[in-house]
Amino acid sequence: MKYESQGIAKMYFIAAIGLFLGQILFGVVMGMQYVVGDFLFPEIPFNVARMVHTNLLIVWLLFGFMGSAYYLVPEEAERELFAPWLAKLMFWIFLVAGALTILGYLLVPYAKLAELTMNDLLPTMGREFLEQPTITKIGIVIVALAFLFNIGMTILTGRKTVINLVLLTGLAGLAVFFLFSFYNPDNIVLDKYFWWFVVHLWVEGVWELIMASMLAYVLIKVTGVDREVIEKWLYVIIAMALISGLLGTGHHFFWIGTPDYWQWIGSIFSALEPIPFFMMTLFAFNVVNKRRLDHPNKPAVLWALGTAVMAFLGAGVWGFLHTLAPVNFYTHGTQITAAHGHMAFYGAYVMVVLTMISYAMPIMRGKKAANQTAQVIEMWSFWLMTVSMVFITLFLTGAGILQVYLQRYAETPEPFMVVQDKIALFYWLREAAGLVFLSGLFLYIYSFFAKGPEVEVVEG
Amino acid sequence: MRETFTKGMARNIYYGGAVFFFLVLIGLTVDTVKSLPQTDNRENLTEQVAAGKRLWEINNCIGCHTLLGEGAYFAPELGNVYTRFGESTEAIKAFIKYRPVDGIEGRRSMPQFNLSDEELEELAQFLKYVDGVTIARDWPPNIQG
Amino acid sequence: MKNDELQQKQASHAALASLLNLTLFPGISFIVLLLLYKKTLPGSFDRYYVVLGIKTNVWAAIALFLVSGLMIIFGGFYSPWTWVYVLSYFMFVHSMFILFATWALTRCWAGGRLKTTVLSK
Repeated sequence: MKYESQGIAKMYFIAAIGLFLGQILFGVVMGMQYVVGDFLFPEIPFNVARMVHTNLLIVWLLFGFMGSAYYLVPEEAERELFAPWLAKLMFWIFLVAGALTILGYLLVPYAKLAELTMNDLLPTMGREFLEQPTITKIGIVIVALAFLFNIGMTILTGRKTVINLVLLTGLAGLAVFFLFSFYNPDNIVLDKYFWWFVVHLWVEGVWELIMASMLAYVLIKVTGVDREVIEKWLYVIIAMALISGLLGTGHHFFWIGTPDYWQWIGSIFSALEPIPFFMMTLFAFNVVNKRRLDHPNKPAVLWALGTAVMAFLGAGVWGFLHTLAPVNFYTHGTQITAAHGHMAFYGAYVMVVLTMISYAMPIMRGKKAANQTAQVIEMWSFWLMTVSMVFITLFLTGAGILQVYLQRYAETPEPFMVVQDKIALFYWLREAAGLVFLSGLFLYIYSFFAKGPEVEVVEG
Repeated sequence: MRETFTKGMARNIYYGGAVFFFLVLIGLTVDTVKSLPQTDNRENLTEQVAAGKRLWEINNCIGCHTLLGEGAYFAPELGNVYTRFGESTEAIKAFIKYRPVDGIEGRRSMPQFNLSDEELEELAQFLKYVDGVTIARDWPPNIQG
Repeated sequence: MKNDELQQKQASHAALASLLNLTLFPGISFIVLLLLYKKTLPGSFDRYYVVLGIKTNVWAAIALFLVSGLMIIFGGFYSPWTWVYVLSYFMFVHSMFILFATWALTRCWAGGRLKTTVLSK
C-alpha cells in the first residue's frame, strides 16, 4: 500500500460484506415467501423483506464503490487522500443512517415510518428502490457530497489519470442523478418517466463508468499491461456505454403512457447496450492473455474475468432477451425481468466490488496476496456464487417463459395467482440455488480468516 | 495492431458521444413532457387521486405489485385492476378492506392496512386514474395484466 | 515461436470471422472462413484458427439448430414447456459459444494457440 490513507477502504469493505450478507439472508426469506406465501407474515411481509433486500444491495454497493475509490484514488493520484478524517466520519454516518433506515423498515409499519420521518413535508417514500425516508435521502446526498469533495480534491491536487477521472465522473453522475429521487410528481406518467433518470441512468449509465474504471485499475495491477492500452480501451468502453445507454433509457418508456416513438428509439439503442459489456469481456480476456506478470493473487484475476463475463451475460445477453419492444410487450414486469435483474446486478456490480476487495484486502493486511488456503477457499466461493447465480437466472427465466405464455400470450390467459402456482417448481429450484449462493457467501467470508501456507512472491 | 486509432480519438468519441446523446435525451424529454397531456389522463388527476397516490406510496403497494409493469412481481398488476374488477371502485375497496389480519394460510398474503372509507375511496380513484392512462399498443396484452 | 505478420493477420481475421458468424453476420462469416482456409497452409498458425473457427461454428449449428429443432419437434411447437427448454437452452448455449469464440480471439491476438489455461504460467 503506497499511501497510508488507502487503508480507510478496509472499514468500507468490511461494512459492504456485512450488508451483503444481510441482503442475501433477506433474499432467501423472499425466495421462501414465493412458495410458502405467508412465511413470516405478518411480522415481515414480502414487501418489507424486499425493500430490505434491495436497499441493502444498493447501500453495500455504495460502500463498495466508496471503499474502492478511497483505495485506488490516492494511488492513481499519487498523493494521500485529501481529508482522511472526513472519510472516516462519513463512514460512520452512512452506516448508522443506513442501519437505522433498515431497522425502520423492519420494526415499524411503513406508513408509520412515513409519519415518523415527516414524509409529508417532501414526500419521496414509497417508490421502488427509493423507499428510504426523505431524511435518509438527504443524508445520502450529504455523504455523497462529502465523498465527492474528498475524492475530487485528492484528484485535482494530484495526478489526473484516465482511470481516476472516469471514476470521478461516474461517481459525480451517481450523485447528480440521485437528486431525481426528490422529484415525485402526482402525475403517474411523469413520476415513472423521471424515476428512470435515477435507476436507468445509474445502472445502465454512470455506474458503468465506475465499474469500468475499477476493472481497468485492477487489471493494470494484476497483469502489468501497459496503462496506455488499458486507458484507450476504457475510453472506448465508456463511450459505447453512454452512446447506447443514454437513449437506451427509452426501453423503459414503452408502456408508461409516453409517445410511441420510444418503442423505436428505446429498442434500437438498448439493443446496442450489450456492446460495452462485450468489449469489457474482450478487454479483460485480452489483457490477461497478454499479461507481463503472474500476480500471486489468483482469485483477484478470477473475479476480474468473471465480472466481465457475468456482466456480459446478465446485463448484455439477458438484457437483450427482453429489450426489444415487440418482445417486451409480452415480458414486461414478469419473472424474465427478475432473471435479468439478478444476473446483471451480480455480474456487473457485485462482482466488480468483490474484485476490488479481493485485490486490495490482502495488501491492506500487509501482503501481496492471501495465503494458499485462503485463495483456494475464495476461488471456491467465486464458483459457488457465480454458478448458483447462473442457475437462479435460468430457473427464473424458465418461470418467466411459462408465465409469459400462460398469463400474457395464450388464447385464454390465466390470472396472475393461478399462473404463479403453476410455476412454483421453478421457485423451489431457485430457492435451492439461492441457498447454494448463501453458502458460497459464507465461504467467501470465511476465506478472510483461513490460515495456510503463504504464497511465495517471486520478484522480477 | 496498427496505431491508427489513438487514445485521443477514443476520448473524443466518448466526450462527443456522451454530450450529443445527452442533448438528444433532453430534447426528447422536452418533447415527451409536452405531449403527455394527450395520454396521461391528467383531466382526472384530482386532489382525491393525488391523495390516493400518496396512500399507494406510504403503504408501499409497489413492494408486492406492479403498476404499469413496474414494481415487484409477487402480486398482480394493478394498472388495469379497475377494468379487471368490472370498472368498479367498490370492488377494489372491498378487496383491500377485507384482507384478513393474519393472512391466508399457506398463500401469499396481503396485509390489512386499516384504511378509512375515505382513504379506500382515494386509493380506488387513484387506480381508476392509472387505468385511464393511454398506453402504447394498449398494454397490458390482456385483462390479466 | 513467432508467427509472421501475414499469418498473425489472417489468424486474427479467422478468429474474428468465427465470432461474427456466431453473432452479427452468420453465414457470410462462415463463407469467409472457408475462403480463408484456402489461403492458409497446413500446420500453420493461421490455419489453426481457421479450422478452429469452422469446427466451433459447425458444433454451434448442431447444438443450436439441430438440438433446438429436435426439442421443438418432440416437445411440440405449441407447448409452452417446449419453449421453456428451447429458449433457456438456446440462450445459455449460444452465450457459451460466443464466450469461447471471444476467448479464442484474444488467445489469437496474444500470438498463441488455445492450450494454456488462464491461471497457470
